[in-house]
Amino acid sequence: MNDRQVHKFVQRYLETTECRIMEKSPAHFLVKLSPKADRDLTNRPFYWGFVDRTGAEPETMSMLLVTDKNKYDESKASEKGASVASSRGGVITGAVTTQPAVNPSGIQATPGASGPSGATQPAGGIAGAAEAAIGRSMGFIHGTLNTNVRVPREDLHYGSRKLEQLFESAKANGSYLCLFQEPDKKNSHPLQSTAYTAWLGVNYKVEFACDMKREELHSFGVSLATGQCAEQFYDRLQSLRMTPRLPPNVHTAKNGLTLNKATAIAEQTLERKLRSYDYEWADAAADRLQLELATIQHYYEPLLESPDEEVRRAVAEQFKRRQDEIRWQYEPRVTVSAINCGIFYLQGIG
Amino acid sequence: MQPPIEQNRGEGPTSLVIRKLNASVDLHLDRTWYNELQQRIDRNGPWDDWTMYQLAVEAEQSKLIGSFDELQCMRSLPNLEPMPHQMSTARKVLNEMSGRAILADEVGLGKTIEAGLVLKEYLVRGLVRRVLILVPASLVLQWVRELNQKFGIPAVAQKKEYMWQYDVVVASMDTAKRDPHRDILLAQDYDMLIIDEAHKLKNKKTTNYQFVGQLRKKYCLLLTATPVQNDLDELYNLITLLKPGQLGGQSEFSANFVVDKRLPKNEDQLQEALSSVMIRNRRGDGGIQFTKRIVKNIELTLSAEEQALYDAVTGFVRQRYDESGGDWTSMLSLITLQREVCSSRDAVFLTLVNLFKKTAEDSPLRPKIWELVEFIRNIQANTKAEKTMELIREMNDKVIVFTEYRATQEYLLQYFRSHNLVAVPYRGGMNRGKKDWMMDLFRGRAQVLIATEAGGEGINLQFCHNIINFDLPWNPMRVEQRIGRVHRLGQESDVHIYNLCTLGTIEEHIVSLLHEKINLFELVIGELDHIIERFEKGETLEQRLSKAMLESGDSSELRKKIDDLGNSLTRIRSEVESEEPLHITTPIGAMMDAVGQSVEVRP
Repeated sequence: MNDRQVHKFVQRYLETTECRIMEKSPAHFLVKLSPKADRDLTNRPFYWGFVDRTGAEPETMSMLLVTDKNKYDESKASEKGASVASSRGGVITGAVTTQPAVNPSGIQATPGASGPSGATQPAGGIAGAAEAAIGRSMGFIHGTLNTNVRVPREDLHYGSRKLEQLFESAKANGSYLCLFQEPDKKNSHPLQSTAYTAWLGVNYKVEFACDMKREELHSFGVSLATGQCAEQFYDRLQSLRMTPRLPPNVHTAKNGLTLNKATAIAEQTLERKLRSYDYEWADAAADRLQLELATIQHYYEPLLESPDEEVRRAVAEQFKRRQDEIRWQYEPRVTVSAINCGIFYLQGIG
Repeated sequence: MQPPIEQNRGEGPTSLVIRKLNASVDLHLDRTWYNELQQRIDRNGPWDDWTMYQLAVEAEQSKLIGSFDELQCMRSLPNLEPMPHQMSTARKVLNEMSGRAILADEVGLGKTIEAGLVLKEYLVRGLVRRVLILVPASLVLQWVRELNQKFGIPAVAQKKEYMWQYDVVVASMDTAKRDPHRDILLAQDYDMLIIDEAHKLKNKKTTNYQFVGQLRKKYCLLLTATPVQNDLDELYNLITLLKPGQLGGQSEFSANFVVDKRLPKNEDQLQEALSSVMIRNRRGDGGIQFTKRIVKNIELTLSAEEQALYDAVTGFVRQRYDESGGDWTSMLSLITLQREVCSSRDAVFLTLVNLFKKTAEDSPLRPKIWELVEFIRNIQANTKAEKTMELIREMNDKVIVFTEYRATQEYLLQYFRSHNLVAVPYRGGMNRGKKDWMMDLFRGRAQVLIATEAGGEGINLQFCHNIINFDLPWNPMRVEQRIGRVHRLGQESDVHIYNLCTLGTIEEHIVSLLHEKINLFELVIGELDHIIERFEKGETLEQRLSKAMLESGDSSELRKKIDDLGNSLTRIRSEVESEEPLHITTPIGAMMDAVGQSVEVRP
């Protein structure tokens, strides 16, 4: 994902979680999180536990999400340069603050927060010092844990921790679906009922692992009416307009298969495909495994002949542990798990 | 010890299916999703959001590991620019060594970066989750900081017992091997174990060694700049810890590869065996491209009062020496006095007071010492401090002022403060936390750091590129250490070094010796060691200088003696420089070199 893709991803995430975007540019978002997003992104399980148990009105956090660090800092620097020149004459020119001031002017972080944003400026210094103090004791402290900053800033580049949290949140909240295809408006006759078929759709992640690893994604759809199995099913879904509500004038075909059977068909299709792959990597890993096992056998066997029973026991234990470690490290395996799945009602009998 | 995925997910009897895919591979089908989907169908919901579903797939697509051997982690590290040898080391550990290796680069080539790259790659690939990093106590926080800031790895420093359960934990070996921690750690499965300063594990009888052997780990990195310090057994032990049997059993190893403790045989075979578990990058000959050092000697003339004090002290010191009948070994405090008088009156004063206290009450020395104190009283201003202030104001940039003396440090702090210049102190006696604090203040808000100590692990001051030597140590290595704090790998700007040098004092000679004769400030790193080693046969430069100082009757005699010292230094320097680039001449050293590659290092 490049910066632009990240930006797009973040925007869609914020919109679909109903966060309130207070300010945005191609390089950043300033948002007031929705309760749903706050739960997933702010690392405040105790706070949410408190809200859930007492029924208190939740106060969600605001966040500055920067998707293009360079561009954002540049624009802020030029803005700040202009304002500093006009208002106060270079008070902190010598000091290099570790975290740029994050409270953009004109925005009140919480409803009813008093005072102009300028007033939070010195607090930023204290927050910085507090952060440094915690850092000295813990080595490093992540920005979001520092509650002295009212609007924490997060740089969301690919690989950053906060983006990873967004990924996890998306996965947790996008795992199981039940959707209907929206019928074409033009062709629909008010008195005619369209036939829909239920499909099981699964997005599989396949991991080929030994001491190294490679992955593939496979998407299958299995018709619950006929048992037909379609590949690249996810792409097909994306080309359609889907809705969570049953459209009018639609009837669904009777399911001929159980979910269990459909699952088995998807798995068999995948398995057949996987069997046709080249497994040189696995053979090589198995060879490495055997070689390593032979090496330690050669090493430990003479030691196992020690006359001292105590020593023998210790050696045997070590030998076993090392064998286990080697299998753990090298044993080739293919793991199939689902990223997400759902039941999709699509037009037509298929 | 199966891979943990399979064991932890079991929710029902059918949630995990294992089938044979072919002769060497099993297929593991994780079916937890099926049970959950069935439940939701039965209860008619709740159903998730379509956009989230799509975002989840896109996230997975972006994270997909497309190939076994291409480095993936760099995509996630936009702000890190590793050097080529660090990248190639990481690749080799991952692709050829299966994640068990000894990283034995020479000091300063970035073993931490290499380890960080390997770790990050395994994390990104999902092959590693639980990590234990054992390092000397003084380096714990530095590791935590580097992993978090440079690699975005959420490492924590172990402080409380429950913290052992975190995914990536950094702790000191001394803590880890002690009860009750020991048992906790031995009960875990670590996907990866990293040990810094691993040469401390060379003796297999130690508890450290046995403890590390007992830890259950999949991948393992041992970091050390000195895999062999004394004999080949150390190397054998280290490798056995990593991969037992790699060099055969102890007796086989001795029979096959060892002539004598320090003399290997069958070098080619040994080298091959070593290179499958160890990587050693060395600095290329002359390949080190550091930024420039720009040296400026600031010549100062003492005020009349300061000069009077200097002369009086010099006279006092010589007189004492003559009285002692040439026994200069007892003259230590006097030498100190001589050196301090070049630094500040505060430094001299303290020593004089101590000397006064130690002297018997009826000693004729007492009035003489008092006389010197009177000279101090007359001094109103410190010429050097004023000049330093002027320099700092001019450069308008972060700067470190080094002094040898605590009293001078205190004086400068107070002097700068009274002139509204923010300065923070740094000295050896401070504990780790305070040192870190001072460092933070310097990085954040203070323009000046006044340091009495240059050594010590883990002080990285690359963000600063100005040094003022308020006074100079007589030991060239200490001068080099001072500069090395700032002028090191990672320094991107040229480094400015200012030497304050009061004319007509011993200091003038010292600056000339270090700068012109040894050319200390422009030497290739490592070269100084060789020059000093050769020069100091039995007697250090410091001692020789002291002797010259004491034995000279007047300044012209002193000048001559110092010129002699200077000439022999110049001679040795040209000898060293004309020789072939130095190779480690011991057989073990040659062995080590053969395993590695030399790299061109550019900051």
